[in-house]
Amino acid sequence: MAGEAGMTTKNQAKKQPVIKCKGIYKIFGEAVPSLIRENNGAIDVESFKQQGCIFGVNDASFEVYEGEMLVVMGLSGSGKSTLLRCISRLTDTTSGNILIDGEDLLAMNSKELIELRRNKMGMVFQSFALLPHKTVLENIAFPLQVKGMSTKESIERASAMIDLVSLSGRENYYPRQLSGGQQQRVGIARSLAVEPDIWFLDEPFSALDPLIRKEMQDEFLRLQGLLNKTILFVTHDFDEALRLADRIAIMKDGVIEQIDAPANIVLNPATEYVAKFTNEVPREKVLKCSDVMEKEDKNTKKMSSIKVPANAIIETVAEEVLNESKPVPVVDETGKTVGVLNRTSIIHVLFGKHEH
Amino acid sequence: MKLTKILASTTLAATLAFSAPAFAEDSSQPIKIPTHNWSSQIVMAHVIGGIFQSMGNNVEYVTADSQAVYEAIRNGDVTISHEVWQSTFGKSFYNAMEKGGVIDAGTHAATTLEEMGVPKHVIDNNLCPGLPNWEALKNCKDVFKTADSGGKGRWLEGPQSWHGDLMPVRVEALGLADDYTVTFAGGADALWAEIASAKKDNRGLIVFNWTPNFTDADGFVFIEFPEYKEGCRKADGGDGSCGSPKGWLKKAANYKFPKTHPAAYTAFSKISFTTKQIGQMAALVDIDKMTHKDAAKKWLADNEAVWKPFTQ
Amino acid sequence: MLNSFKQSKLQQFALLLVVFITLCWLVPKPDDYKYLVSAATSNTGSDNWLWRLPDLIAWLPLWLADGINYVMFDWITVDVYNEDLEENESISVVKEITRSLSWFVLFFIQTIREFLVGGLKTIVTFTSWDFINDNPWAKLPGLPWTVVTGAAILLGFNLGGRFLAILVGASLTYISLFGQWEPAMKTLSLVLVAASISVVFGLLLGIAAYRSKLVEAALSPVLGIAQTMPQFSYLVPMFVLFGLGDHAGALATIVFATPPMVRLTLLGLKSVPSEVVEAGLMSGCTRRQLMFGVMLPAARQNILVGVNQVIMQCLAMVVIASLIGATGIGDDLLKALNGLKLGKAFELGVCIVLMAITLDKLSLAWANKPIDYFADLSFSQRHRNKFILLAILAAGVLLALIGRYVFGDGINYFFIIDTNKGLTTESYLDAGIDWMVTSWFQPLEAFKAWVFVDVLEPVRSAFRGMPAIATFTLVMGVGYIIGGVRSALVVGAYLLFIALTAWWDRALTTAYFVAIALVIAGSLGALLGILCARSNRASKVALIMCDTLQTFPSFIYLIPAIMLFQVSNIAVLIAITPYAMIPALRYTIEGLRNVSPALQDAGSMSGVSRMQRLISIELPLAFPHIVLGINQTVMFALAMVIIGAMIGSTEDLGELILGSLSDAQGIGKGLILGLNVAFMGLIIDHLLNTWARERKEALGLA
Repeated sequence: MAGEAGMTTKNQAKKQPVIKCKGIYKIFGEAVPSLIRENNGAIDVESFKQQGCIFGVNDASFEVYEGEMLVVMGLSGSGKSTLLRCISRLTDTTSGNILIDGEDLLAMNSKELIELRRNKMGMVFQSFALLPHKTVLENIAFPLQVKGMSTKESIERASAMIDLVSLSGRENYYPRQLSGGQQQRVGIARSLAVEPDIWFLDEPFSALDPLIRKEMQDEFLRLQGLLNKTILFVTHDFDEALRLADRIAIMKDGVIEQIDAPANIVLNPATEYVAKFTNEVPREKVLKCSDVMEKEDKNTKKMSSIKVPANAIIETVAEEVLNESKPVPVVDETGKTVGVLNRTSIIHVLFGKHEH
Repeated sequence: MKLTKILASTTLAATLAFSAPAFAEDSSQPIKIPTHNWSSQIVMAHVIGGIFQSMGNNVEYVTADSQAVYEAIRNGDVTISHEVWQSTFGKSFYNAMEKGGVIDAGTHAATTLEEMGVPKHVIDNNLCPGLPNWEALKNCKDVFKTADSGGKGRWLEGPQSWHGDLMPVRVEALGLADDYTVTFAGGADALWAEIASAKKDNRGLIVFNWTPNFTDADGFVFIEFPEYKEGCRKADGGDGSCGSPKGWLKKAANYKFPKTHPAAYTAFSKISFTTKQIGQMAALVDIDKMTHKDAAKKWLADNEAVWKPFTQ
Repeated sequence: MLNSFKQSKLQQFALLLVVFITLCWLVPKPDDYKYLVSAATSNTGSDNWLWRLPDLIAWLPLWLADGINYVMFDWITVDVYNEDLEENESISVVKEITRSLSWFVLFFIQTIREFLVGGLKTIVTFTSWDFINDNPWAKLPGLPWTVVTGAAILLGFNLGGRFLAILVGASLTYISLFGQWEPAMKTLSLVLVAASISVVFGLLLGIAAYRSKLVEAALSPVLGIAQTMPQFSYLVPMFVLFGLGDHAGALATIVFATPPMVRLTLLGLKSVPSEVVEAGLMSGCTRRQLMFGVMLPAARQNILVGVNQVIMQCLAMVVIASLIGATGIGDDLLKALNGLKLGKAFELGVCIVLMAITLDKLSLAWANKPIDYFADLSFSQRHRNKFILLAILAAGVLLALIGRYVFGDGINYFFIIDTNKGLTTESYLDAGIDWMVTSWFQPLEAFKAWVFVDVLEPVRSAFRGMPAIATFTLVMGVGYIIGGVRSALVVGAYLLFIALTAWWDRALTTAYFVAIALVIAGSLGALLGILCARSNRASKVALIMCDTLQTFPSFIYLIPAIMLFQVSNIAVLIAITPYAMIPALRYTIEGLRNVSPALQDAGSMSGVSRMQRLISIELPLAFPHIVLGINQTVMFALAMVIIGAMIGSTEDLGELILGSLSDAQGIGKGLILGLNVAFMGLIIDHLLNTWARERKEALGLA
């Protein structure tokens, strides 16, 4: 468990989290309400399980900050989608606190909830969940029209979204006439139409072919670069998580096993379970220069003439560094040297077993 | 509904103000005339409707079951019934009268007969010598047997709901039970289908029928059973070995009819058609293949002398 | 040993059969017992309860009739001064309420009708009869048939293109030229109103059932009964509650047509993918927006099937509804049959089928019509249809006016061709029937004698000769084997109700008809289905045949059946079989054609022959679906038994239901008899559905 550990370097601390979850439980079973009443609101996991209850989410606590992308990773049945549905309140949370921008989500009445969803939230679904009777354009305009926006305005706005997801020319197609990738572009455009602050994505690319999936991930990163939303992204694909995430939460049987930045997870798996995933990971594709650089040795005069950026993935600089006999300086955005990379550290990444 | 009523009463007031009637006028509400499922009745409905219309009344035709219609008259869903057959509808008619709401509006000149009989070809081709006398039946059960009659001759009676066990009792009482059995048809259609089929195939058939009816045109011969006498039926304490009586043909009306449409009611109570006239009406449809409406129009045009007096 | 018995249903069935036969043998018919087929209504011919249960609820029909009559006419009354009578009369409030409803329905029917064929009731509604008397010009003239047909063609073209336009145009022209325009439009006006009300009502009930488990649970048996109860049995209640006329016909039609709409709406809503619902919620939909903007449209396919079923059911009711005053084609058809004008009746039947096909295709095309937001249309393009419509109207009216001069006092062929004054093929059809009777009747005699003596009579005796204890054991035993104690109790309860009414003997006779029809129609339908499923085209043709047969009024082939087979059980079965065969055929084709291609390929690759593939792969997989077809065959057969009673000689429940139509007190009798039939249907329905569901789960198809 890694509760508050592993903050990213991004803007946090000063601001309150956009999503704050504390001790969320989602328990399935007919006896749940009475059991909770008997225990005066307390949840005793073992005795509940003995009564035949199933824990979809078991004591999840974490925060997501503005502009951050938290990827929840887990295999099927791990509770990741349930967790997402608790936070979007598509399902009722058994116990715990969820604050959205400081407001208590679980205490909202249906009117407040609808307002929240209409203005702050967008969601993308695994099976796209497009309305079969509406065209691409109508699907995207739907959340706007639900809000009461005029047909003309909503269609204009939807047209802009279509350009954003590169679907121009297919406005009047029906979902059934589109490929899976195209359908998910519609799903993405729809979820973004109301310009939400929080963006939920529930295995958005799982139903797509590998090539298309890669393409969509790139597209997704491009969009996020443009929009900088606060994102909760659910996937069962560890590579995808590594590729996209600012932080990853790994779930098993409803429990968050570890929550941390991708590099830290790869370098310091907290549990056996997490290690099973990280073992297989080609680390050069995950780690950045800043993750493996050493402190600059002031005595070393012979620095290489090439420089590598701190946030570059190792894979992209490995060849250069390996060809260089001298240590290579690592520089941040301002050009200041923040560390050095040696051949040995690269070789460690590429071939070394987990030495940490 | 309310709106119509208010409008109706205001217009009524207006008309009363401008026309000074010598006697109470007929309401402008339409008189509802039932149509059943046989041609003479439907043509007569249109004939009577035509008579009412000639007197300035509004009429409306309502399709109704011939038994259920008496209950409908009681409720005011239908205003009149112009063919109340004694034997078939007498019970429903008197039941409704007893409950209140239905009145007897007089009798037609025509008499009716509802009886077992044979299509004319049975007599013409002498399939069973001695008919129409019933005694002849004793010797020709084979002419009337069918695949499922168990070797006996068959009487094809109307639906059991028409006369209950009248015919089975009669077969028994006449001592014909060893040679004849009674089968109940599902409806009038079945009777006509059997008659048509028997005629095409020149086959023997004993079947329930009535007159006046459209089958009169093709020729239909009723069997002459022992004469009907008061009390001869089993229900009345007799042994049931008698034939059917000649019956009356009455007219019925809703109890409000004389008050709402006094003139029309007076005419309706005077209306009296003969068997021949009813036959004419049916023949226009069944033989000349006219529509019911056209038949009524033609009959009214041809027989002004008959019906004009009813209206005066 | 015991374990294997518990496993093997076959052994259990075998034991049940042995027990059943032993019981039949142990409890023979008492010597003094007479099957109650005569006019008497009481069944208390026996004191032996093992043979027949006492008719403990024989009082129910009369009690029900008295109860309804009391509520209708005497429960709450007010004295109102009647101007016409010039005295107070007492008016029943309940009756006034139901009659207001009638008036409302009738108003819509009449208004549509009078726009189509003319009339004055609509104007009367807004003025009065006196106004009409004073202003004879004040009536709706009706539209020339050319205008209606032209408008329908335009509609068809816009919705479904050229093919639909031709279909619609040809159908309406046929109806007009054959002189059935007026009755057809009368029927159309009734069907439009009844179908709209059924669809709206069905949607609302379906939504309510989706939202509340309680409503769903309460609705389920009601729908089951409404669907299995013979339509005849609620005609009298309709007439007592709502009076005679088109409105009563429309309301009876609604009772019959709504259940499939409710079921399909519920099914559709339940099968909307949960993610689509979530997508709607996350878009910020309110409850209403979610239902009408997301769920109902997403459930569209099922709901459309529902609309389609409603239209088919409405047209199937056209003839029956005319028994309580619905005018139009059905009424004309019954009158034609009564005058034995078979050719005419046949033509009218064809008109009903054409109307069904036309409405069916138009409604489907309408539902599938997309909207184009981007089409940048000019003014003339946007209003093109309105211009064409105006042009059609102008041309049609002009033509009708010209027709007045051309045809003089005769029929104005350009306005409305009078009823029965158009073309006709009557004489050919009648000649055909003549030929059939004269050349087939005698050759069939030997066949008829054999069927009756060696097949029907023994089976009927066997059914009637069952002691009640054996029937209960058999039915509840089958229930237990298929669905455990619960099923046994459910079917037992249905059976008990029937046994306690006065009509057990007749119910057994009805069961005999259904059983024989099931064997013939089921095997014929399944066989034909297997053959047709081989080819795409044959399947399509067979399915169109099913649609046609289903809407072609069965009354029509009663008459030829009687002419050939006389008033006999054979004629009844001949009339039942074609109709009962429809579902067996339809479901067999659907079942076989839905077997997944992968499995078929797998079979082909293991080198099976076509026959082997059919027997070892396709049929077992399609079987659960085929069983549902068999279930429907039973339902259709039950519905037809009542119509078969119109032939006669049946001595079953149908005969009494038919009789109750002509009985003012028949309201209770008809309903209880109808319930008897419905319960028989529900027993079979429960058993077969439970079994099919279990099989589907076992095969992983559910």
